[in-house]
Amino acid sequence: MALTVTLLNSAYLCGRCCSHKVLHPLLGPLLNDSMSKLYSSYRRPGSQPEKKPSWENTDFSFKKGINFLKSQLNMLKEETKDYLIGPGGYPLSQYLLEQTKVLWEFRSQEDLNKWVISSDVEIGGKSEVYLKLGRNNQAALLYGTLNTEVPRDGETKYSGYCSMRAKPPVGSFARKKYYDWSNFNSLYLRVRGDGRPWMVNIYTDPYFSHQKDDLYSYFMFTRGGPYWEEIKIPFSKFFLSSRGRVQDQQHPVWLDKISTLGFTIGDKVDGPFQLEIDFIGLLNDRAHTEEFAYETYEKV
Amino acid sequence: MSPHTKLLTSLSLTLGTTITISSTHWLMAWAGPELNTLAIIPYTSKSHHPRSIEAAIKYFLVQATASTLLLFSSMTNAWATGQWDITQLTHPTSSLLLTVAIAMKLGLVPFHFWFPEVMQGSPLITAMLLSTMMKFPPTILLLMTSHSLNPTLLTILAVASVTIGGWMGLNQTQLRKILAFSSIAHLGWLAAVIIYSPKLALLIFYLYTLMTITVFLTLNSTKALKLPTLMTSWTKNLSLNAILMLTLLSLAGLPPLTGFLPKWLTIQELTKQEMAATATALAILSLLGLFFYLRLAYYSTITLPPNSTNHMKHWHFTKPTNTTTAILATLSMLTLPLSPLILAIT
Repeated sequence: MALTVTLLNSAYLCGRCCSHKVLHPLLGPLLNDSMSKLYSSYRRPGSQPEKKPSWENTDFSFKKGINFLKSQLNMLKEETKDYLIGPGGYPLSQYLLEQTKVLWEFRSQEDLNKWVISSDVEIGGKSEVYLKLGRNNQAALLYGTLNTEVPRDGETKYSGYCSMRAKPPVGSFARKKYYDWSNFNSLYLRVRGDGRPWMVNIYTDPYFSHQKDDLYSYFMFTRGGPYWEEIKIPFSKFFLSSRGRVQDQQHPVWLDKISTLGFTIGDKVDGPFQLEIDFIGLLNDRAHTEEFAYETYEKV
Repeated sequence: MSPHTKLLTSLSLTLGTTITISSTHWLMAWAGPELNTLAIIPYTSKSHHPRSIEAAIKYFLVQATASTLLLFSSMTNAWATGQWDITQLTHPTSSLLLTVAIAMKLGLVPFHFWFPEVMQGSPLITAMLLSTMMKFPPTILLLMTSHSLNPTLLTILAVASVTIGGWMGLNQTQLRKILAFSSIAHLGWLAAVIIYSPKLALLIFYLYTLMTITVFLTLNSTKALKLPTLMTSWTKNLSLNAILMLTLLSLAGLPPLTGFLPKWLTIQELTKQEMAATATALAILSLLGLFFYLRLAYYSTITLPPNSTNHMKHWHFTKPTNTTTAILATLSMLTLPLSPLILAIT
């Protein structure tokens, strides 16, 4: 990206220097203003203005590099030790026998740092979302206000969503790791909502970029009461959508390579929302025998 | 898949393999694997799942690159020596490039990264084809050029493959990935002796194919894709489960099962060629593979899980076991006493 920009910038400068009329028709669009032609000139209100190019942001401190290397090597050592024990760092017998597993629980600020919150501010909307620890550090509280007012940029039609998404697991030296949930068949959530319907999204981080927008989603309907709810969502119910559009060809989610889990609210109702999450876990529900809820006939 | 597609692709697979093994000109030797690659793509991406399509794309890209390298090596050889005969690959650079190309096709380390992912994305029968039939043409090409290959390179590839195949297979819980790593390890053994005794390499390949097909057909009868399903498959077909245990131990190379024969003969051949250190290294590194095969066998047959299966496909299981599976299983476990006959013939 940086090289492309430099190339185009230099092409622009060269074009200014030489005044060959022959070259200009061919290089016209490139020479006018190279920066703005790389992407649309309209910058959405929620995104940060371009100040410094990313390659000028690097910090060449030697000490920081050494510390980074030490921390990564420590992580690598831990990973090797876990590898010697068994899959996921636990003995194989535990993997084979487990029927429940807690993935994320919210007891401290570090647990909150594993999640990222976002809302339609990034496209210019006015919803607000905040994440903090609940009472007695026993739960996470995701709260805010949903505002369905459409940003006036002429191209957006809908607005009003807030979401919380887990950060993908990262190994040593920033390698991507994946969760293996193939032993389980339902998601188990202990939540206390306010009656609003939420959408649970699973992202499997595919290898090729054409499928990077694929998301498997299902709904979580919360009760508003003062009592905690334990919601079980079987993985067979998750349907495939890509860039927000539900696909015609549905298939069950493959659980052996999951990257992140997320919650989204976008029920087109203006007003405050609140969701407390105690923990998110997995369950191998022996009573649930459905393999896939949609279109199970043989497709030729 | 419609019957027409199935006919077309299966005939193409057979044709591709036949063209390669009966070729004498490098162009035909290149055309055969290309035909195979293209023919197995529909099998791999049959279910239209993104992971299957990813597996198909990865397979195609790797095999196409390897075929290009193959053609390039034959062209450099033709440039240097003026002929396109497969058995006359005398130029050293060409033989080096050919070894690299075949290593990519077979999935030998360090060109193995595509193999587990492709196996994981394909259905069980396609995975079986990928690890047995699709390895046949490249092995034959190596066989035909074995007298002009670089021994050091092949030994390095062999030891590395056995290491990585054993080490990476240790913590896998998806059965197709386990079998992918077992395939990498077995082909490492094959690559170790192909120069010294091509007939032995062919025998290793045949026995490995036999055992792998047995395992895949057994897994296919219970549609077991991951370890926990295998753990509860004893409820569905008890005798097949016991046979699976013995077949896995045969793959691991334990005497008195058939799988011991290729390992024994390889070690004997390497020792004859003054490569006792390599033979020792290969034998010790196969212990890693033995560990995970033993663990598979233990958890599938010897232990009794505290739960029964609620795997849907098992409920409709009314077919008795295929005769083919039974015959192949018998062959893959009990052929060791026939070794004097095999040694007399080869």
